[in-house]
Amino acid sequence: MSDNRNFVSTKTVGAPHGMHAFWRTLSRYSSLLLMLLVCGVSAGLGVFVMRDSRIADMEAQKMYEGSVLGFRRIGELQYEAQETRRSTLYALTTNDSNLQVEYADQSRRADRHVSDGIAEYLKRARIPSEVEVGKRLRDDWSAYLKIRDEVLASILEGSTREAVELDITGGVPTFDRVRQDLDVIKRLYDEEASQQLAIVDESSRRSVTRLIAVVTLTVLFACVSIWAIQRSRMMVALQLARLQMDFVASISHELRTPLSVIRSAAENITDGVIEGTVQLRRYGGMIRSQTRQITELVNQILLFASTRDGRDHYVLRPVQVSQIIEIVLENTSEFVQEEGIILETHVDHGLPRVIADASALSQCLQNLLINAIKYSGESKWIAISATAPNGADELRISVKDSGIGIASSELKRIFEPFYRSPSVCAAQIHGTGLGLPLAKRIAEAMGGSLSVSSELARGSTFTIHLPIKETIQARTAVQELIH
Amino acid sequence: MGRVANLVLVRIAVAIAILSFAIGSLFAWSLAAERNASESLAIIVNVSNTLDSVSQDELRRIFLGERSHWANGRRITLVMMEPGRPERKALLHDVCQMNETDYSHRILHGLFTGELFVSPKTLASPMGVRKFVFNVPGAIGYVRAVDVDETVKVLRVDGRLPEAKDYPLHIEQRTMK
Repeated sequence: MSDNRNFVSTKTVGAPHGMHAFWRTLSRYSSLLLMLLVCGVSAGLGVFVMRDSRIADMEAQKMYEGSVLGFRRIGELQYEAQETRRSTLYALTTNDSNLQVEYADQSRRADRHVSDGIAEYLKRARIPSEVEVGKRLRDDWSAYLKIRDEVLASILEGSTREAVELDITGGVPTFDRVRQDLDVIKRLYDEEASQQLAIVDESSRRSVTRLIAVVTLTVLFACVSIWAIQRSRMMVALQLARLQMDFVASISHELRTPLSVIRSAAENITDGVIEGTVQLRRYGGMIRSQTRQITELVNQILLFASTRDGRDHYVLRPVQVSQIIEIVLENTSEFVQEEGIILETHVDHGLPRVIADASALSQCLQNLLINAIKYSGESKWIAISATAPNGADELRISVKDSGIGIASSELKRIFEPFYRSPSVCAAQIHGTGLGLPLAKRIAEAMGGSLSVSSELARGSTFTIHLPIKETIQARTAVQELIH
Repeated sequence: MGRVANLVLVRIAVAIAILSFAIGSLFAWSLAAERNASESLAIIVNVSNTLDSVSQDELRRIFLGERSHWANGRRITLVMMEPGRPERKALLHDVCQMNETDYSHRILHGLFTGELFVSPKTLASPMGVRKFVFNVPGAIGYVRAVDVDETVKVLRVDGRLPEAKDYPLHIEQRTMK
């Protein structure tokens, strides 16, 4: 047995469906994932645009409240101020005290509205110029109301001349000041409205720019994603096609060579070229050997095709590994002898049973053994071992050779269907590139895994990891207990 | 049997009649008491007027136009209700001690001789009187005590407010006579 410390391991024991399975699933649902991703990105961008739109709306609302409502308020103020003065002057037009009292009442109602409006304006005033003009208006309005009261009193007393004089000397100039204050407020509102309009305009322009940018980015992102996935798929398809072409080339060579040998032997026998029993026996053996090679090849291809299509239905039951190893050794004994292989077997006593399909497991182990024979190199030495390490809940069947080994760069690809290393092809070692993928699939189908460690020119070790039956039963019992 | 029933019915009828009389009397008494209290004639002035109390004689002089200005120099404006109103009748009788005709003659005479600058303002309703007094700082008028509100100031007459028992100016007593 060689030292494994320098070997490179590519598989993790107990993780048969790890990252590879994840990427396979990811690849399978890539379109769906892309759609979800695009939807997610679109939704996120939609939220962003909506938020932007809402901000613009709030700014417009603010403009409406600040300017449009302001204009309305100032319009009402102007009207009520005029109404205050108008009603006072109406009282001058009659001598009926009852009517005069009614006009005075109207004037007071209107002046209350004006006073309330001024207080509201002062409450909403933010900038110093607004506050200043608001206070000036309040003072001017108070001054006017004092004169108005005097005018009203004079009218009601019947002193019309006095009332008119009071109004001309005091009321008119004071009311003019009030009117000017209101005009200033209106101008301030106008300026504020212009500023708000500019802000809303800017905000609207910004929103449109963002929207265009967002839509462009989304489309761009979707296009790039689709392109990336299509390219990835195309690459995979191209790779598969190349592998299949290599496979066809290889398989045709593998089939043609034994067929040529068989045809040649048959022709020689038919033509009577073969004389004597010894020669006949030699040709017969040649035909049998080549036929077996073709049969194995065809079986391998059919088996791989069946597992690939998911048509493999394994019958899993407790199996003794030692029996499986014996069967495999028996099946391959002739080939081993022909190749002159020195085969060592180490099977621990009292190995626990594993849950497996006996036939499939035999096929898996046989593939590994034939592989080891092919690549055992000049050493012609192979070791098969079966152990159940203490504490581990698995049984390991290893096939070790001290042959040509596998380069670390190749290790990642040896389980790909139809893959054959260029160095192996150059060495004219026949094969289909299906043996190892098939063995791996079988191991994984039985809940186990296949790992490899290898070093160039030092040899390789392939290990089948299978779960032990007792461990599975114990796990099942615990799960049932929990549920 | 029939006689007993009749006797019972008669008794019930008598009881109902007595009870109705008692309740009606009580209601009439309470109504009369309320009327007596609310029918005082309040003399009102503008809230800015510093005067708080006035005697009946002073009041007479004011309403007859014998006094034309307040102590602060402001001209007195008389506010009267329309002829025929109980309030006016009460004022003419209790304060001016004359009837409508005499009062009219007196006012016309005063205007003719120049003793009066402006004739009294005549208003149709207590609310009109109140509003007029509210608007004119030198105005003085009268309304029923129940028609008074916070916009005007009520003067004491001979030191008494309209709520007082011996307040001198009332309306319904004069009208009943």
